[in-house]
Amino acid sequence: MIALAMFVAVCAVLLLGYPVALTLAGVALWFALFGTTVGLVDPSELLAFPSRLFGIMSNQTLVAVPLFVLMGVVLEKAKLAEELLDAMAALAGRMRGGLGVSVVLVGALLAASTGIVGATVVTMGLLSLPTMLKRGYSPAVASGTIAAAGTLGQIIPPSIVLVLLGDVLSSAYQQAQLAQGIFSLQTVSVGDLFVGALIPGILLVSAYIIYLIVLAALKPETMPAPPADECPRGIKLWAQLARGMAPPLLLIVAVLGSIMLGFATPTEAAAVGACGALLLAAVRGQLNRAALQSAGEQCAKITSMVFLIFIGASLFSMVFNAYGGDEHVHNLLTALPGGAFGAMVCVMVLMFLLGFILDFIEITFVVVPIVGPVLLQLGLDPVWLGVMMAINLQTSFLTPPFGFALFYLRGVAPAQLTTPQLYRGVVPFIAIQVGMLILLALWPALATWLPSVVY
Amino acid sequence: MAGVSSVLAVLRGFERVNRLFFVMAAWACLVMAVLGFAIVVARYGFSVGSIAAQEVVMYLHAFILLCAAASTLACDGHVRVDIFYSRWSAQRRALVNLAGSLVLLMPVMLFILLISWEYVAHAWARHEASAEAGGLAWVYLLKSLILLFALQMLLQGALQAVQAWADWRSGAAEPGA
Repeated sequence: MIALAMFVAVCAVLLLGYPVALTLAGVALWFALFGTTVGLVDPSELLAFPSRLFGIMSNQTLVAVPLFVLMGVVLEKAKLAEELLDAMAALAGRMRGGLGVSVVLVGALLAASTGIVGATVVTMGLLSLPTMLKRGYSPAVASGTIAAAGTLGQIIPPSIVLVLLGDVLSSAYQQAQLAQGIFSLQTVSVGDLFVGALIPGILLVSAYIIYLIVLAALKPETMPAPPADECPRGIKLWAQLARGMAPPLLLIVAVLGSIMLGFATPTEAAAVGACGALLLAAVRGQLNRAALQSAGEQCAKITSMVFLIFIGASLFSMVFNAYGGDEHVHNLLTALPGGAFGAMVCVMVLMFLLGFILDFIEITFVVVPIVGPVLLQLGLDPVWLGVMMAINLQTSFLTPPFGFALFYLRGVAPAQLTTPQLYRGVVPFIAIQVGMLILLALWPALATWLPSVVY
Repeated sequence: MAGVSSVLAVLRGFERVNRLFFVMAAWACLVMAVLGFAIVVARYGFSVGSIAAQEVVMYLHAFILLCAAASTLACDGHVRVDIFYSRWSAQRRALVNLAGSLVLLMPVMLFILLISWEYVAHAWARHEASAEAGGLAWVYLLKSLILLFALQMLLQGALQAVQAWADWRSGAAEPGA
């Protein structure tokens, strides 16, 4: 019961707005002090905390995080996303809805290596909203597309939230097997999750694009084609493609391909990606000492932010479990009607609601370690579970009135975009997301087939 | 007030030290990427692997995530749930930060200092080295980063509290602000 009170207390204190990582750790600490004073918590349980900290520091998988962040930061600072967007729009030429389709593709490929929903949507919003509105796109369609595209990158590899989720799920999977008395452990890796997320990700991108093309055909006034004299042709078009489109695409393909083909671990691929991005920036002459240091600083800042949350969340889950929270959750989830299905639905709804106040990273570190082992013990597949969670959270970030993505897009949008327009614009994308979740629930093989072939 | 301003001066000095660590962490990110790439080339190009090189990457990673945290706090880089916070007055935000650093941040960092002291001292006493053959011999130094991190955060948190206190007072002095 106290574990539940602790969860509620932490949510309440979080709403005050003090940094999440420190709130998680601080509230947990006060509960731990209370528990040791009245004798509910054995003080020796807290002694394990330094070795937990050391576990976070020496975790080889998570080394991929700063490397992917660096790649994202460098690509952003070198304005590669902008040029990619321009090049794709030029390629689409006079096709109606071409710009919208380009925004979806750029979002999926480039936007999310830093893993923070707010930052991604802001970047995509600044990048594409003014152009779309200038071209005469309806504000609802433009903003819906950007919000959806900005969050989509989160679940398409390479993204850091998949690295984090993969790491947390892999320890949850081990825990679940040990609890079932299985000692010849099967493992699930970040690579598995990357590969597993690929087909659902591609399906989502395709569904977005089909929706935009159909809408452009049915209601041409919502996304007019660019005037003919603004479309580059011939040599000029090819030059733009070679400069703007080829380099970032090659980089993404190299990073993803080396993981898919089993050449490299995600950490190695991330190092290659980061150096590739630096190289691209250098070739463009954008890499002086100041630019290097500022990319490094941005990277250090995001990295320490992510890991401080991890540290705070591990103190939280340690105290939560010291109060028997893990057993409560286990009993609660296994007592639900419908077995694994009931438990899954319950967890998905909980995560969806938490997505209104917490970002992907926090939910991964706080909620997944608690519910993950229980769900996996009920026989769910870890890769499938990870992909379902990722798409579910992405949907949550898009859902009015609290969705993160909307909140941040509103912040950078010009006044001519009204909030109801924004809400109307995302509804079709939410429908696509929910459709995808249902599809994935009916055919788990969409997520599990590819990893079983690749590895 | 002389007491307050000298405390502030000392804390600002520590803030500059934290900033120095932050800049080192920034360069560590770049070094890590280049070294990581070199390891990939060595392994797939020349079939040469080095545990030590991999451990250097891990040490750099640990340094970044721990020693950049204090300066990240100073520039408000740690995410907040800002549904309400972003709409509040500067004075109310100052109150949140004052209470947060006194009740949440500083106790947590004191706790980490106290509980990790023994753990780190133990590693020093044994001159703990890597468990891997060919690994680095400085695990005790790596573990010491935990204490450095907690100390940096504690001092930065104290500065945050003093600044928030000043902001809150100046907000209270101007009615309607």
